[in-house]
Amino acid sequence: MIFQANLNEAFRSLASAKQRTALALIGIVIGIGSVIAMVSIGSMAQQEALRQFKELGTDVLTLEKDFLPDDDARAASTARGLNLNIVMGLPTAVPAVADVSPYTQGGGGDVFHMGKSLTQASLMGVTASFFAMNKLMIAEGRALSDLDSNSKFVVVGAQLASQITEHSGLPPTGQQIRMGDHVFTVAGTLAKASQAALRRFDPNTAIMVHITSALRLPGSEISLVNARVSGGISNDKAAADIQVHLSRQAGFPGVRISSPEELIKQMESQMRMYTLLLGAIGSISLVVGGVGVMNVMLVSVSERRREIGIRRALGARQSDIKGQFLIESVILALLGGLLGVVLGELAAWLVCRFANWQFDVSFAAIVLGVGVSTAIGVFFGIYPASQAARLDPIVALRAS
Amino acid sequence: MLSLQGIRKSYKIGPSEVEVLKGVSLDVASGDLLSISGPSGCGKSTLMNILGLLDRPTAGHYTIQGKPVAYDSDDELSNIRNRSIGFVFQQYHLLPKLTALENVTLPMVYRGASKALMLERGMRTLKLVGMDGRSHHKPSELSGGQQQRVAIARALAGSPQLILADEPTGALDARVGQDIMDLFLQLNSDQHITIAIITHDSHVARQCRRQAVMRDGELHE
Repeated sequence: MIFQANLNEAFRSLASAKQRTALALIGIVIGIGSVIAMVSIGSMAQQEALRQFKELGTDVLTLEKDFLPDDDARAASTARGLNLNIVMGLPTAVPAVADVSPYTQGGGGDVFHMGKSLTQASLMGVTASFFAMNKLMIAEGRALSDLDSNSKFVVVGAQLASQITEHSGLPPTGQQIRMGDHVFTVAGTLAKASQAALRRFDPNTAIMVHITSALRLPGSEISLVNARVSGGISNDKAAADIQVHLSRQAGFPGVRISSPEELIKQMESQMRMYTLLLGAIGSISLVVGGVGVMNVMLVSVSERRREIGIRRALGARQSDIKGQFLIESVILALLGGLLGVVLGELAAWLVCRFANWQFDVSFAAIVLGVGVSTAIGVFFGIYPASQAARLDPIVALRAS
Repeated sequence: MLSLQGIRKSYKIGPSEVEVLKGVSLDVASGDLLSISGPSGCGKSTLMNILGLLDRPTAGHYTIQGKPVAYDSDDELSNIRNRSIGFVFQQYHLLPKLTALENVTLPMVYRGASKALMLERGMRTLKLVGMDGRSHHKPSELSGGQQQRVAIARALAGSPQLILADEPTGALDARVGQDIMDLFLQLNSDQHITIAIITHDSHVARQCRRQAVMRDGELHE
């Protein structure tokens, strides 16, 4: 009964000082909102990354030329790129490797079709295995094969393909496009590919030529090799086998091999840093919000000294007065918390829309928001409530 | 029923101690209608605060129905205030956001009474003071005399042993003040309610059966 009376009293009191209540809420709303947004966006980003990994396969190793810290050694190794024949020989020489797909990346510029500038595109040199390795689908025409060696047939990304059609009204396959001094013939187009963080290129705006043609361009070298591990063999074992084989090849620079597990770990630790940072910002605004609640409660206590005196004269115990003000501060913080949850989820939803991620309402985040705001209400409400309870009834009754 | 024995109260003002009550003894019997009057500064208010358990005496004993008051427990003092004392203040001291009925039942909230009991008792006491027709009005919608009637109903609602009224007519004009006095007289004669009125108004004091006068910290009857 006392609880219910105190609850009614709290709502009455907060409603009668609307402006003050609203201002006190802002801090809590921003604090809880940013914590909720952070937790939701963080967990969705992680899920998105995992989804991408699963899409591209967890059995694909990435080989990169190792940059040595020493300047001379680096100069020497840059001079010698990865040798295409040695890379292509990997599946034969190392049984742990099922398939390889090296590619070159670099160069690019404005693409012209029928004399009209379309868009910026990057030029990639790829092998026939590239499309399957990267889960890229052909929309029209054909993929590149090893018969396209040294030719100027290309596969273009979805965005570029649709621009060609839009601008000329012709199907892109068979069209001639120009980039710099080179004229390429479109052999096929790619279906629109989702943005995967793991791909180090954007297939939608790429022009893909056979790697043998790309390597003939000055300064061009293999930038990255994807290697699919044979079934039943662990990624670590395959990586070790590749290292042993490559170290025996004369003139082959050192390579760094990373497995998807490592990349996931790297990403997770990056995510943790990000979460920690946002968490710190959220906590600071929560403290600020809590101080706001305390401030409002102190004002409320000093404005209602006479009321406290009357209640004490009528038989309210110190604990009753304490409870009354504590309930008020918890309700204030909880109100802010609920608004913050709504705001945070809204922010997460917006981020998801722009990033094209799947949005889920995070129930853990809601529980967290409600729990944290209640705790803030109690923590920052205890001091004003104790002050109210400790007031001398005679002094309180005399207050104007 | 209520008994003060050799009550002393002194305050420290700077380095010196001022004794406001110099050994006050008083017995209030059930059904008494008592006035305590005296010039301002004589210690009336201090005596009232001690009678109402809002203040602790420096020395002396206070027993209520034979039981000595336990001054070491604030919760116990709150309980006695809640059950044994009904306050009526000069400035009415109603809570402005509550209706007349909610104000009247407030003391019962603090003893955990049920809603039904509070409604029943609240309406009954409002009827006793002639305010049952205004039960859902806020204090700001009532005149001074009406507010004081609601305040008296609040004091009665908890059925205390003693109604302690501090200058109950002080904020009212003479006619309305007399109405309130008439209400006290009627409650005392019809309902046998024990009432102590602290006042500096000799006209009010004269209407009480028992009259005590405070002078220089001492009580004379």
